[in-house]
Amino acid sequence: MKTKSSNFFAIILDNLIWLLVLAALVIFSSLSPAFRTPNNLLATLYRSAYLGILVIGQAFAMMSGNFDLSSESGLALTAMVGGLFLATTQNGGLGYEVAPGVAILIMIAVGLLIGLVNGFLITKMRMNNLIVTIAMQMILRGLVYIISPGATASFFPKGFTWLGGGNLFKIPMGKGFLGIPAAAIFIILAFIAAHIIIKYTQFGRNIMAVGSNPVAAKDAGIETDKVIRRVYLISGFCMAIGGLLIAGRLDSATPRVGAGLIFPVQAAAVIGGVSLFGGRGTMIGAFGGLLLWSILDSGLSIMQVSPFWIEASRGLLLLFAIGLDAIKVKGMHRKALEETLATSQIGLQDTNVVIE
Amino acid sequence: MNTQDTNSTQSPILVMTNVSKAFPGVQALRSVNLCVLPGEIHGLVGKNGAGKSTLMAVLMGITDPNEGQIEIGGKTFSTMNSREAIDAGIAYVPQHVAMMDSLTVAENILAGELPKNKLGFINWKKVNQEAEERLKQLNLQLDVTKKVEGLGVAEQTMLAISKALFGNARLIILDEPTASLSRADINRLFNFVKSLKDKGVAFVYISHHLEEVFEICDRVTVMRDGRVVDTCEVKDIDVPQLIMMMVGEGVEDYTRDSTCTDEIVFVLNKLTRRGYYEDISLEIKKGEVIGITGLQGCGAEQLGKGLFGLEYRGIGEIKINGKEFTAKKPIDSFNEGLAYLPQDRYRFGLVGVRPVKENVTYPILKRLTRLINLINRNEEKIIVDEYIKGLEIITPNQEQPVRLLSGGNQQKVVFAKLASTKPNVLILHEPTQGVDVRAKMDIFRIIDELAKQGVATVVISTEIRELIGICDRILVMNNGRLTHEYKKGAKDTTPKNILAAIEGGKQNHE
Amino acid sequence: MNNRKSFDWTKFLLDNFIWIIIAGVYLYFASNVGGKFITPSNQVNILSHAAVLGVLAIGQTIVLLTGNFDLSAEGTLSLTTIFAMWLMVEPRTDAGGAMASGWMVNPLIVIPSMLVLGALVGLLIGTLITRLKMNNFIVTLAMQLVLRGIAMLISGGQIMTGSPALYNWLGGTRIKGFPVAVGVMLLMFLTVNYLLNQSKFGRELRAVGANRDAAQASGFDAKKTITRAYILSGFLAAFAGWMLLGRLETSISTLGQGMTLETVAASVIGGVSLKGGLGSVGGAFAGVMLLSIIDNGLNLMEVDPFWVQGIRGMIILLALLIEAQKFRYKPKIVRDVIENPAEKAKA
Repeated sequence: MKTKSSNFFAIILDNLIWLLVLAALVIFSSLSPAFRTPNNLLATLYRSAYLGILVIGQAFAMMSGNFDLSSESGLALTAMVGGLFLATTQNGGLGYEVAPGVAILIMIAVGLLIGLVNGFLITKMRMNNLIVTIAMQMILRGLVYIISPGATASFFPKGFTWLGGGNLFKIPMGKGFLGIPAAAIFIILAFIAAHIIIKYTQFGRNIMAVGSNPVAAKDAGIETDKVIRRVYLISGFCMAIGGLLIAGRLDSATPRVGAGLIFPVQAAAVIGGVSLFGGRGTMIGAFGGLLLWSILDSGLSIMQVSPFWIEASRGLLLLFAIGLDAIKVKGMHRKALEETLATSQIGLQDTNVVIE
Repeated sequence: MNTQDTNSTQSPILVMTNVSKAFPGVQALRSVNLCVLPGEIHGLVGKNGAGKSTLMAVLMGITDPNEGQIEIGGKTFSTMNSREAIDAGIAYVPQHVAMMDSLTVAENILAGELPKNKLGFINWKKVNQEAEERLKQLNLQLDVTKKVEGLGVAEQTMLAISKALFGNARLIILDEPTASLSRADINRLFNFVKSLKDKGVAFVYISHHLEEVFEICDRVTVMRDGRVVDTCEVKDIDVPQLIMMMVGEGVEDYTRDSTCTDEIVFVLNKLTRRGYYEDISLEIKKGEVIGITGLQGCGAEQLGKGLFGLEYRGIGEIKINGKEFTAKKPIDSFNEGLAYLPQDRYRFGLVGVRPVKENVTYPILKRLTRLINLINRNEEKIIVDEYIKGLEIITPNQEQPVRLLSGGNQQKVVFAKLASTKPNVLILHEPTQGVDVRAKMDIFRIIDELAKQGVATVVISTEIRELIGICDRILVMNNGRLTHEYKKGAKDTTPKNILAAIEGGKQNHE
Repeated sequence: MNNRKSFDWTKFLLDNFIWIIIAGVYLYFASNVGGKFITPSNQVNILSHAAVLGVLAIGQTIVLLTGNFDLSAEGTLSLTTIFAMWLMVEPRTDAGGAMASGWMVNPLIVIPSMLVLGALVGLLIGTLITRLKMNNFIVTLAMQLVLRGIAMLISGGQIMTGSPALYNWLGGTRIKGFPVAVGVMLLMFLTVNYLLNQSKFGRELRAVGANRDAAQASGFDAKKTITRAYILSGFLAAFAGWMLLGRLETSISTLGQGMTLETVAASVIGGVSLKGGLGSVGGAFAGVMLLSIIDNGLNLMEVDPFWVQGIRGMIILLALLIEAQKFRYKPKIVRDVIENPAEKAKA
């Protein structure tokens, strides 16, 4: 039987991320007036939208008990492919100058292809998902460089950049306008959609089942391999959307974009409660992780902290989150051992009760 | 001999005929016959290595028998895969239940078929309701919104059984379900299981708690050394008879002369470990061989492992040759003069893929190394050769990976390893398990030889006749205490008496 | 497996298959590229390229033998080189010297310091994995981030240049055209190979990797062994850093990116089992040579460097694919249910 205090503790742990987000907001707002503006808060979301969509993809993967470390390269590749098809030859493109809609479709196709390959290698070829996606990350990054002879493709049509860089609408405010970035709204909607999928669709529950215990899931009739392949397709799709967002915001695509992104993506997911062990976590929590991350980023740079302290603090935050995750999940298994010892009468005289 | 239930007009749910299975080096099952009737709770007992697990593996379609047939659900199989087994209605509930424990009870019950609303989205209210409904049909009440990992062990077991039933299981295998349950929990579990009998569900109940077997089972099958000893109605026998069937007869006519001296070498004083044994006090003399026997759960296994350092030992005093024994890890135990032969040879005894030579010298490498950790190969070769010759280990050469040796020879390699550490005290756990008859004699000779050299030996075993043949004293351990002692040559030292002294593995639950 | 009565040719060929592949690849390049490939100076190039990777691969193999991974080695390499530069380099206003400490410590002190630092990192990782029982994949992956982060902190994200000649000796000197680094690398391989086969430590590593429980019951301390493996790996990563830095005379916090996976691939190609307990550094050496020859050959064929990167990635995938097929997926139930020891022996 869980005691009252352990229940309370569990509740705190589960919602820790929101406490942290709140704390971060409060701290930075009090420390820096520039932080407090509505402009800035929206801008934070706007800037991290592309990160957020990758977090969604990674969260799907982690919930199923797998990892997709190739997403940063996939993002770069899809962005570059889109850019090449859109831009004029003077601006680094191939000169096809396709319509934005077509470019987006092509990008999505590339993303899905990446997901297809990942899923295939992991489920059919039975390869370790970490190693496969790390290797893919290298291969795809190389591909980006190969296909971009001129390094940068830029100046895309408005229709393309709108989602990543444009405003949804403007609110008159004070002397001017407050632009509500499309990306900010989009990412919120994306997380809501992801949350609905995970919580309210059979597919989403199958993902959680597979992540929790693939054998039990299989026994329940769930086709675990199919689920995992679909998850990687989703991750690939997210890479494409991420590419769209970042290319839209920067109005350009470079081979280096997204390098090193995998760590913030991972960190945001884990901090938000998506467990490394699979089968746990929520998309809402992952959103919280994204928020925390971007708040830290924004707040620390507004306070003009050295970018390298920012890097280091992120790494430590990741380690802390991982440790907490391990404690939370492994802690469950000690209970069974304690129960066994508690029910036996043998050796009761022994006063040093040690639980190994 | 199968005893058919006299008032049964129903056909059996399961009939296993003449099932045999061999693994490299060991014959795990020999012509096993098993028959389970609908609505029957059929106990399956036997000590470790008797073949219960392998039999269940065959039944579940995990491994194929070399011979024999399985008749279930009207179909006959000579081999079966796990899908077919499940479709035929066989379900397995392991000791540590395999469910999706980060998900709720309701979700586990309805996994894969969660009720949805008109738009196709999951209706969680309905999910919980439906789950509760199903449980109600089985008269089970659980908080369906709780995560499975938050349930107590008894609840998890009952949930697992329920899940199996929802999956149309007709024969459920319960594997040691009461290991960590309190008496109240056990009552609840048993009531639940009994209530399912009326629905025609059959159970195979595997347990080493014999009193529980009598409490809940209708019939019981006893296995030993891969064979079925007998299948009886529970009401026709009692615990001592059951024990007699479970425990091995051993090899005839091996006796040895005592080499016991007067010098006390090994002293245990009030050794106690919460939950496993208490007040264990012993004095063993140089060259003496004592036996400790008792059923699974009596604490002897934990005592052996605890002394050696593989598990927590508890409190209490231990002395070897007058000096306090402080070792908490295996390497320290070796250095302080205590060696242990594990029951599970493959998991604890030998590193299978590595050669004979390496396995023999692992604990004494320190002695064999010269500068910078380098092993003196010549010295090693000589020592290993000595043991191969002395123990008559049959192996093509020193480099042979030990997993390719026969069971008996593997055991000899373990003995060689232990002997090389020149122990004062030797603890052997089921030294003849998985060893063919001829090699058994060799093992006895090895034990005799070591005792002649003055090693104080403790043999933890349930082969009563073997113990009578080789031991100076035999101690019986029940529920964590040493309760009886039988001396070599005394009138009351008979297999019958010793067996009678072993209690049926009852655990103290309150 | 086969009986070893007379010399078993099949087994010999299978075990050393990798060398046959190397020979094949070498011949391919020799015939397609011709003159440039065969020159003695090109052989030196091939070996040079393999030197740093080789040292790293030794460390990875040692850890792999215990059944674990070290994905942090490149981070250690980067951090120790940055650390060394920070200590040694003359502070200047130009890029490359701005972040130096100004102490201008003598290389004779700096070198041991960086090696010790590498070993300490390994100690930390080993402790986290053995005492806190955290997953080795995740811990070493996260550690890589942290180490690079610290390296970035110290270096300000910039390159650091200007290591003194005394320091560069190992990486930069050639004796009669033959790089010292290569000689040292070959020496290390031979030494470690010898040690692993002849020493107590080598036995420990393999026993712990093959069957941790039995190794423990045979008197080994698995926790200590695994930690020692990581300490060695960290030490070797620092050593590789010393080599690399000496050759490049420049360090940056992103140094060595991608090398970790290459070392895993090299080991796997060379027959080191990812499950632990089986394999040798000799095999890893073969893997490193193969990767190096391919790199060199492709470069001489003037293949686009990014294609080379891509091909490298694909070789890695291929090696791991083959490895994965060796251990086909076994349902978890088999391992949980079957307590019969004979089944385990079969498994």
